Amino acid sequence: MNTRSIYFRLILWCSGLIALVAVLFAAYIYQGLEARLYAEMEQTLKRRAQQIAQNILPQVYQQSPDNIAAAITNVYSPEANNRFIRISRPNSLVYISGLPKDKEFDPHKIPLPSSTIEPRRIAPISPHANMVIVTTVAEIEGILFTIEMGAPTDDINTALHGLVVTLLFGLPVVILVVSLGAYMLLRRAMGPVEDIMSTAEQITFGNLSNRLPVAHTGDVLEHLSVKLNQMLARLEDAYQQASRFSADASHELRTPLAVTHCELESVAQDQQLPEHLRDRIGSVLEETERLSRIAENLLIISRLDAGEVKIEHELYDLATLAKNTAEQISLLAEQKKIKMNITTAIPTPVYGDPAKIKQIVVNLLDNAIKYTPQGGAILLSVYSVQDKAYLEVRDNGIGIAAAELPHIFERFYRADKARSRQGGTGLGLSIVHSICQAHGATVEIESKENKGTTCRIMLPLAEVKK
Amino acid sequence: MRALIVEDEEKLSDIVARGLKAEGFAVDVALNGTDGLEFAMSYDYDVIILDIMLPGTDGTEILSRIRKNNGHVPILMLTAKDTVADKVKHFDAGADDYLTKPFAFAELLMRVRALLKRAPTQRPNIIKIADLEIDRLAHQVKRAGNAIELSTKEYALLEYMAQNCDQVLSRTMIIEHVWDQSFEGITNIVDVYVHQLRNKVDEPYKEKLIKTIRGVGYILNKVGK
Repeated sequence: MNTRSIYFRLILWCSGLIALVAVLFAAYIYQGLEARLYAEMEQTLKRRAQQIAQNILPQVYQQSPDNIAAAITNVYSPEANNRFIRISRPNSLVYISGLPKDKEFDPHKIPLPSSTIEPRRIAPISPHANMVIVTTVAEIEGILFTIEMGAPTDDINTALHGLVVTLLFGLPVVILVVSLGAYMLLRRAMGPVEDIMSTAEQITFGNLSNRLPVAHTGDVLEHLSVKLNQMLARLEDAYQQASRFSADASHELRTPLAVTHCELESVAQDQQLPEHLRDRIGSVLEETERLSRIAENLLIISRLDAGEVKIEHELYDLATLAKNTAEQISLLAEQKKIKMNITTAIPTPVYGDPAKIKQIVVNLLDNAIKYTPQGGAILLSVYSVQDKAYLEVRDNGIGIAAAELPHIFERFYRADKARSRQGGTGLGLSIVHSICQAHGATVEIESKENKGTTCRIMLPLAEVKK
Repeated sequence: MRALIVEDEEKLSDIVARGLKAEGFAVDVALNGTDGLEFAMSYDYDVIILDIMLPGTDGTEILSRIRKNNGHVPILMLTAKDTVADKVKHFDAGADDYLTKPFAFAELLMRVRALLKRAPTQRPNIIKIADLEIDRLAHQVKRAGNAIELSTKEYALLEYMAQNCDQVLSRTMIIEHVWDQSFEGITNIVDVYVHQLRNKVDEPYKEKLIKTIRGVGYILNKVGK
């Protein structure tokens, strides 16, 4: 369980508070009930003691002690009711009740009151019960009689015990109900947050124009969603500006490039110009052309990255496409006496944009030929494993150092200073990468310096009905 | 032949105008859309080269106004907008061709020529240049009576150059016609194929037909032309 979650902490706090309040409340109830029960008992006992003082005690000189005892037993029957009654006067005992029915206390062992009148609680007369004893005095013919009336507190204890049991069972139930209630309330309150989260999760650079649902709660949640949406809008703006910038930049380069190109072209074809000058103009023209290609490629990449390019979605055979493309480029390999082997599993049907995938094949083969020395070998293979189609270009060329590998898809990254760019744009692999991303394909490169490089493209294999 | 260039980039319109004049065209230049539309409505042109992003009336608007007025003049759109959607939109609006900046003048010229002779000219089945003979039906090539064996790509390259003999062909043009756009990044493929073609077609003979114009491209023509 995540103890740091807002759910956990809120529920913990909530039930903790409720438990505290409940315990305080229970203590209050317990104390109140206890005081009330004792007060009632003392009142009852006191009333009886006074009744004895008024009704029975005045005859103490006329009647024999046995008759007094009989009168008390007749009215109160203390033994049967578990009561304690004692009447005494200075230095002698007038009456004392006998052993009670349940033998909980021995009346003769109860000490005489030290001071009068105050109710006493005597403890413990048994493992379970205390006793409450109320004392009253009455003066008859100049002699002070003390009347004690007592009862065990069993009943009070039983009532209080019942209350404790009820509270002990009730408290966990209350806490459970409160926790559940708090959880449900939280879930309801957090519902909009969950909505925001699941929508936010789906937002990528491809669909930055999507917005989060706004919870119309008029409180912090509504604020949160509104603010997040404002942030998304700013993000979208910034992203669009960034991708617009590279698109605009390459776009704006076109007209000046066109002017330069056309001007130089007309000079280059001027037959009156000396040979060495024409050659130099030609060199400048070649670089102008390369500049144009760089601008074009940048435009292609920024469009792919901005998701502006519509990727065709047609069924085609990757193996045939790779094979035909390789044949069209094979002369480049032949020129360098590089042996190009092709193994393809025909058919390898995939969905996608064949023109874009062809671009990948061209770029990868071109790289392989460029970075493989005379007499080397290139293996182009297309195969499928389970539901994936693979296109692999393996060469035994100069390879790429391990430290360079993570950077090779970066724009304009040159793997090795020693490698000449050979008229390239430095964007070939970036284009491969962007096309793969736009296609939902993955590209990976393995390489060992001076051993060779393997580049592998993985595409989902199309299911073909047999 | 009379051509109208509507292009707000003065340098560009200037150089296109010069180039076309050198090819024998009478050329008018409009530097904004409003003038361009007026020119196009007032005179009879054989071809109009039209930029899309223009101050005043834009190229798209001019195009549709001309076509609405029942003008059948061939129109070549010249623009920095290169998405397929842009192209389709303008072809639908009645453009005859579409060229994306930056471009080689050689290509512009070729496209203008193609627009002008689009309709009737029957292309001959056998092209003869000096002692080179290309049979386009049989895909057979002979030089001084000797048959030359060519691969498919080599033949396509030679035929393309022969069809456009006396014209400079840029590497981009060759790639787009003989290969396709996927190969645009690797222009040395053209050099390699031209080299191969030379070995077969020119090497054994005294008269060299294929010439290199550095930085521009290749041209196939008779010596002394």
